Amino acid sequence: MQDIRETVFEVLRAVLPIILVITIFKIALLRVPPSDLLLFLLGSGMVILGIALFLSGVKAGLLPVGEAIGSELPARGSLLLVVAGSFLFGFLTIVAEPNLRVLTEMLDAVPGAGIPSGPLLLAIAVSVGFVITVAVLRIIFGFPLAYLFVVGYGAILLLAPFSSPEFLAVAVDAGGITTGLLTIPIILALGTGVSAVLAGRSALTDGFGLIGLASIAPILGVMVMGLVYA
Amino acid sequence: MIAAAFLAGIDLVALEVVQALLPLVIFFSVFQVLYLKLPRVYVVNLAKGILLASLGMVLFLQGVNVAFLPAGREIGEAVAAFDQRWLLIPFGFFLGFLATYAEPAVRVLGYQVEESSSGYIKESLILYTLSLAVAVSVSLGMARLVYGIPLLWLLIPGYLLVIVLLLFTDKEFVGIAFDSGSVATGPMAVTFLLSLAVGVAAGIEGRNPVVDGFGLIALIALAPILSVLMLGILYRRTRGEET
Repeated sequence: MQDIRETVFEVLRAVLPIILVITIFKIALLRVPPSDLLLFLLGSGMVILGIALFLSGVKAGLLPVGEAIGSELPARGSLLLVVAGSFLFGFLTIVAEPNLRVLTEMLDAVPGAGIPSGPLLLAIAVSVGFVITVAVLRIIFGFPLAYLFVVGYGAILLLAPFSSPEFLAVAVDAGGITTGLLTIPIILALGTGVSAVLAGRSALTDGFGLIGLASIAPILGVMVMGLVYA
Repeated sequence: MIAAAFLAGIDLVALEVVQALLPLVIFFSVFQVLYLKLPRVYVVNLAKGILLASLGMVLFLQGVNVAFLPAGREIGEAVAAFDQRWLLIPFGFFLGFLATYAEPAVRVLGYQVEESSSGYIKESLILYTLSLAVAVSVSLGMARLVYGIPLLWLLIPGYLLVIVLLLFTDKEFVGIAFDSGSVATGPMAVTFLLSLAVGVAAGIEGRNPVVDGFGLIALIALAPILSVLMLGILYRRTRGEET
């Protein structure tokens, strides 16, 4: 509990500035009624408490769990476990990401969008699973991360002219959507966990980059899906 | 009436959070039974942490939805009515900085960087670098809305610059840089800053709220990559002088 109290103070310092500025705007510029201001302040209190609990929980639960899984993957010396484990980890994390459901529901709501949401979800999850696997293999075999990004962005630029405008727009949005607030610590910890147990790899140099890759993978996945459908 | 507005939709938020956590819990349980075999007390503590994180996430998302989302739009519409439109640019800088300074995912990344580097790269350094980067991208986004600059004019040089900086930066910073782009587009940016931009776009004649407002997220995802890569160049320089 001591920890949580400290975290609350830290979060207060983080969030108070923007709350103050908005409050001043609401009073001076917008002249909102008191009930509106009260709702804002209550909501802000909820945000402060929420971030404090979230950060404490991430440090005590999510990061250690992700790291435990990450450090166990290469420890068995079985490449099959690494590949199957990383793929499933990425795939399942993305299938469950709530943001993605918002995207597919929006697509279903647009009549005649021509993009079926089931295959779309599958394309996004498979591409993230694939990229997470490649990223974990990269940490183990140690080729430079920058190559992956250059290849990834290069492929996006190559495919973009061939994609239909609808698929292109959905693809770019899908990239931003897959990395939600819960997915970030989980995937972050997987990378640092894998690199922490390997000799000659540092968590700092090799452990990061998975989230960045996880947000370009869906762009490629959706573009490829668009080509297949066309 | 306030209570009803306050809690509207919280059950959906809770359901989403539980659903997002489910795969991790299942995955961990399988690993725990087959391989990890961690002591029971430790596992109970982890479970408490996960529970805490989910509860916090529900409160945070609900709070952002009822407090910050409407505030962003109201303020955006109000400031778009200013006579001196250029004021939107410093204004965007200011709010972009503050929103990222409050973004929880940015702190998670900063914490993990400080831990992984054993304190060599401080959490606060990552925090300020990202906050400044988002501040610059929001002020660019505002400039775009005021003067009608096409989004691609900013995005294409931006990504070309990423490639150039990749050649010169310290390799320790590459992964962090690309992660930063995704981390900065967290709930604060997507709800508050996006609704701010949509509000401004709605208030300026000839701007389409959907098309012009949404380009902001692309800018917010790009700027932190650039700023962390530049940080890597600075680090490489100072280290080069030492050795």
